[in-house]
Amino acid sequence: MKLYVTAALVSLIGLADSIYLTVEHVTGRSVRCTIVAGCSEVLSSQYAVVAGVPLALIGAAAYFSVFSLATLATFGYRAAAILLTVLVLTMFLVSLWLIYLQAFVIHAFCQFCLLSAAVTTALTVIVLFARRAARLS
Amino acid sequence: MKRLLPFIIILIVLAVAVGSAWYATRTTPGSTTVVNQPSPASPNQPASTARPAPLVGLPGAEPAHTLGAANAPAHIEEFGDFQCPPCGMLHPILEKMHEEFGDKLRVTFREYPLPGHNHAVAAASAAEAAGMQKKFWEMHAHIYEHQADWKNRYDVAPIFEGYAKQIGLDVERWKRDLSSEQVAQRIFLDSRRGQSMGVKGTPTAFLNGREVPFETLMAPDKLRAVIQNEINASGSR
Repeated sequence: MKLYVTAALVSLIGLADSIYLTVEHVTGRSVRCTIVAGCSEVLSSQYAVVAGVPLALIGAAAYFSVFSLATLATFGYRAAAILLTVLVLTMFLVSLWLIYLQAFVIHAFCQFCLLSAAVTTALTVIVLFARRAARLS
Repeated sequence: MKRLLPFIIILIVLAVAVGSAWYATRTTPGSTTVVNQPSPASPNQPASTARPAPLVGLPGAEPAHTLGAANAPAHIEEFGDFQCPPCGMLHPILEKMHEEFGDKLRVTFREYPLPGHNHAVAAASAAEAAGMQKKFWEMHAHIYEHQADWKNRYDVAPIFEGYAKQIGLDVERWKRDLSSEQVAQRIFLDSRRGQSMGVKGTPTAFLNGREVPFETLMAPDKLRAVIQNEINASGSR
């Protein structure tokens, strides 16, 4: 159960991060370009929007779902634990794709996008451990 | 109660998340900095007291590319990079300010191509070479307005050449000027001036020598207010 508490707490970092990115995107006040190319390239790229919806907003929804499912799993809802695993693994694959885009297509990294990828990776590890613990018990 | 607890926690987080997002979109984070901007000066007091002294910096390329009257009471000096997306967003904002304030506002553009942008120097050169035929601002507008068309291309030279044709330049002369010492020197002098004034990123703009906070710069209403303050202050001096 402690693992699900950790997952819920970690997902809050992702939630805050993606809300920040959504606000940046929606207000159109992208961050300043600095000596090293970065966020403004990524956030103003065509990949930052999926079917008219800012990708960051989808991310915020995903992290909120992770938080909800992890909270429910903490309180013993088994179906939530299974859904959580599926969701987090999907998010992990999406994160890999986004890192690929930043590295090889946009040629610029955005530290807030990388933070999101790090959070998702951490969530993946936690959820996999939680599944293993559940199977063993 | 125990059964409801997870749902209560989830609802609280949802409320906080939506609330903070809503709050952040309607109040721009720079709003506190606007307060620090010059307020309309009282008639007996010069506006410059209690404000930081204007930065002077090393000289940039001369003559600078400017819009508006030379003796305008408000002067915005922008350090920009043509490949930087927020600089592209600032372009229509400054254009609007120029239209609204007319001769009360002078706008200067300084080249500040960032090393992280592979086409920034090429774009700066294209604009400066157009400037040798007195068409800097036309090229400046074309490059910014079509930023998305060239920013991710491998070879941008034919694209800029197309703009040169469109704005009616002597293209052969423009091509020669592109690689001229004079164009390179202008970019160097502008960038060196920017560095001497502490410019770390783009767009950075100075209003009568004092840096405009980024959030103010990117919000037309706030920018209009600080420009108006400068104009008011000069009238009571």
